[in-house]
Amino acid sequence: MFYISAASGITHQPTFQNVGFSNSIGTVSVGSELISPNYKDYIDAGLLRRMSKILRMSVACAEDCVRQAAIHQPDSIVVGTGLGCLHDTEKFLNTFLTVEGLLPPTSFIQSTHNTIAGQISLSIGNHGYNMTHTQNTLSFEQALTDTMMLLAEEDNHVLVGAADEYIPFLDVIKEELELMAPVALTSGSSFFIASKEKSEQTLAIITDVETVGLVVDVSSAIDSFLSKNDMSPSSLDLVLFSGADIGVCGKVLHFLTAHGVNEDKIVDYLPFSGIYPTASAFALHYVIDKLGQDKNLTNVLICNCLNKKNLGLILVQSCEA
Amino acid sequence: MDNLKEELKKHIIEQLNLEDVRVEDIADSDLLFDQSGLGLDSIDALELIVLLEKFYGIQVTKPEEGKEAFRSIETMAQYIRKRKTAV
Amino acid sequence: MGIRITGIGIVSAIGMSAEENLLSLKAGKSGIGPVRYLDEPRELLVGEVKASNEELIRSLQISNRNISRTSLLGLAAARQAWGTTRHRSDLKSGIISSTSVGGMDRSEVFYREYLDEGKPDYRLLLSHDSGNTTERIASELGITGYINTLSTACSSGVNAIMLGARLLQQGKLDRVLVGGTDALTRFTIGGFRSLMIYDDAWCRPFDESRTGLNLGEGAGFLLLESEKSIAQSGNETLCYVNGWANAADAYHQTASSPDGKGATMAIQKAINMSGIGLSDISYVNAHGTGTKNNDLSESVALKNVFGENIPAFSSTKPYTGHTLAAAGAIESIFSVMAIRNNLIYPNLNFSNPIEETGLMPVTSLITDRQVNAVLSNSFGFGGNNSSIIFSNFN
Repeated sequence: MFYISAASGITHQPTFQNVGFSNSIGTVSVGSELISPNYKDYIDAGLLRRMSKILRMSVACAEDCVRQAAIHQPDSIVVGTGLGCLHDTEKFLNTFLTVEGLLPPTSFIQSTHNTIAGQISLSIGNHGYNMTHTQNTLSFEQALTDTMMLLAEEDNHVLVGAADEYIPFLDVIKEELELMAPVALTSGSSFFIASKEKSEQTLAIITDVETVGLVVDVSSAIDSFLSKNDMSPSSLDLVLFSGADIGVCGKVLHFLTAHGVNEDKIVDYLPFSGIYPTASAFALHYVIDKLGQDKNLTNVLICNCLNKKNLGLILVQSCEA
Repeated sequence: MDNLKEELKKHIIEQLNLEDVRVEDIADSDLLFDQSGLGLDSIDALELIVLLEKFYGIQVTKPEEGKEAFRSIETMAQYIRKRKTAV
Repeated sequence: MGIRITGIGIVSAIGMSAEENLLSLKAGKSGIGPVRYLDEPRELLVGEVKASNEELIRSLQISNRNISRTSLLGLAAARQAWGTTRHRSDLKSGIISSTSVGGMDRSEVFYREYLDEGKPDYRLLLSHDSGNTTERIASELGITGYINTLSTACSSGVNAIMLGARLLQQGKLDRVLVGGTDALTRFTIGGFRSLMIYDDAWCRPFDESRTGLNLGEGAGFLLLESEKSIAQSGNETLCYVNGWANAADAYHQTASSPDGKGATMAIQKAINMSGIGLSDISYVNAHGTGTKNNDLSESVALKNVFGENIPAFSSTKPYTGHTLAAAGAIESIFSVMAIRNNLIYPNLNFSNPIEETGLMPVTSLITDRQVNAVLSNSFGFGGNNSSIIFSNFN
């Protein structure tokens, strides 16, 4: 269990520095764009000039979180990313396959997944533990699990977040492989300050996080996660889930409704976030915002089944819980 | 007006993505790798080596060799002229 | 309390098993040579695993052939480390792999076809993401539940061991396979060439004349088990993990700081955690890539921590090449084998010490010394520095 003391997100929705956004957002449309702040307010110009979209989004959110929480430095930085720095990866693939002679190195350097966490450490001058988890749709939950352990060890504050970026080639792949995507493919970055102790800054409590890779039985996995936390489905005030895969999500829905969760308490977050591997980080930001808006909410479950093989579960509670 | 120097400045701004810098902001004698100048770093040095090959056909095989040549626009232009006439 | 290591597995340029790797290390036999397996037009020195994808698929008896070389290498090493351990429903098993390229070996084949406007096979991209690399290994081994992938460039392998040890410490898992895998790709070769740190000759770690690295490929996995798990598996404890640390240099995107700040912090913290005295460290398996920058920065860090009494140290990269995310795991297993066999491996291709530091690595095999505790360093891009301590003390 740990506390969230700051949250920041740059997405296709007006999430950045916009408390209460969860009340007003609608479905993200195909062809929508990332809503970016003025990055120069958050990132040193010397670092900014080389940064791709995913780096700008992430470093700006990280900086925003540190400012909000008013902490000098987090003890650790933990990032989840499903596909990493796609723009620079694609650029370097193009370069080395087509250019004869010397190759410009910048896109190679910035193609590695840990560029995100590395650039954050460089930007805020942090020398702590610096980790990058990349387990496709569970990357964010893996980062949260690591964070939970760090806070149980010696850390007081951890900067944790997730980011993935859209490149047009993803739509080409989607078409060619006939992948199902009920909503638009998007980019998104959401970061949080996770703290060991409760404080005036506390926005929400993360009671528990779990990942189930190559999941066999979704229903019993959810059930045992809840019972481990002394909760029953009927005590949930809100469930956010990702409804991309009809098969698995059907099972999740059936399990929840059969165990006393009203259908109006179950919200599919994908239409808000759009699809990207770490969209569950958007869901967490959404829930935290919602908890601040609606004092009747206490127990919220985020159920990530974006990929049918993998189940991610995050149990969030209001500060009053 | 020295065309080579102006051209170099344009290439550098483009290659290094110096978003807010204009050609007229760079003086010929500005120290490129110093905070008083453009504040470039070792990654930029590699990009400049690529730039020299791409636009001037000049190969710098050792990164250290570039160090002196890349002090300023002035020294870069001198280096290019020297290498060009040597061929 | 140390974390118990009960299984090890390696495939690298110097062998298809831990035993074969040990024989090559003892014989001073490098696995680096001209490109043979990768479709790379240039004449380059690389540390390839001496088996084609076809041969790997056959020997591993893989039925779903849509699999990256990175997964194949990883699976080969992970199976060795897992050994004959049996799954039990009352023991929670997990896997943490690490990779820097994931399925890039197939993505680059796809992309070349795509750029040539041929008919590229889009299914090649299904193995692109790094998480898939690990899922394939997990599914072949029958592991479900905690499946994770780390990607922190060249320090990834050590970070996976660290994370696994912490999961056992906090009782989240009873047993966990940890390690790293990376296939050689044209992408990474092109990348390190673009940084002008790819040596066209043999890499020469810690030598004054060093000019860069040779890339390699491979995988290393270790099985970590709790006492509860060992009571069931009956596996022998090979060695202990006693301390670990990861620290950010926060100095530059690629270069290490000249004062070795991040590296010094990582080494210092790992040693402090282990509770092992500086003078009890018998050997340091250095990161030692052979680049100007790393070897100098690492030498400075060693001096910062050990002062004048630097333990025997060497880089084993002249044997295997730099295997990126696998390096930390492979070198950790070399460290375990150093303790098990009382060996200190030589740093091949060395002639003259670095002027600034004057440090001399071990240059011939040492067999007559007790090796109780080993420090292994792995330092990556973006200033990601990790150090880990192994020993035969619990």
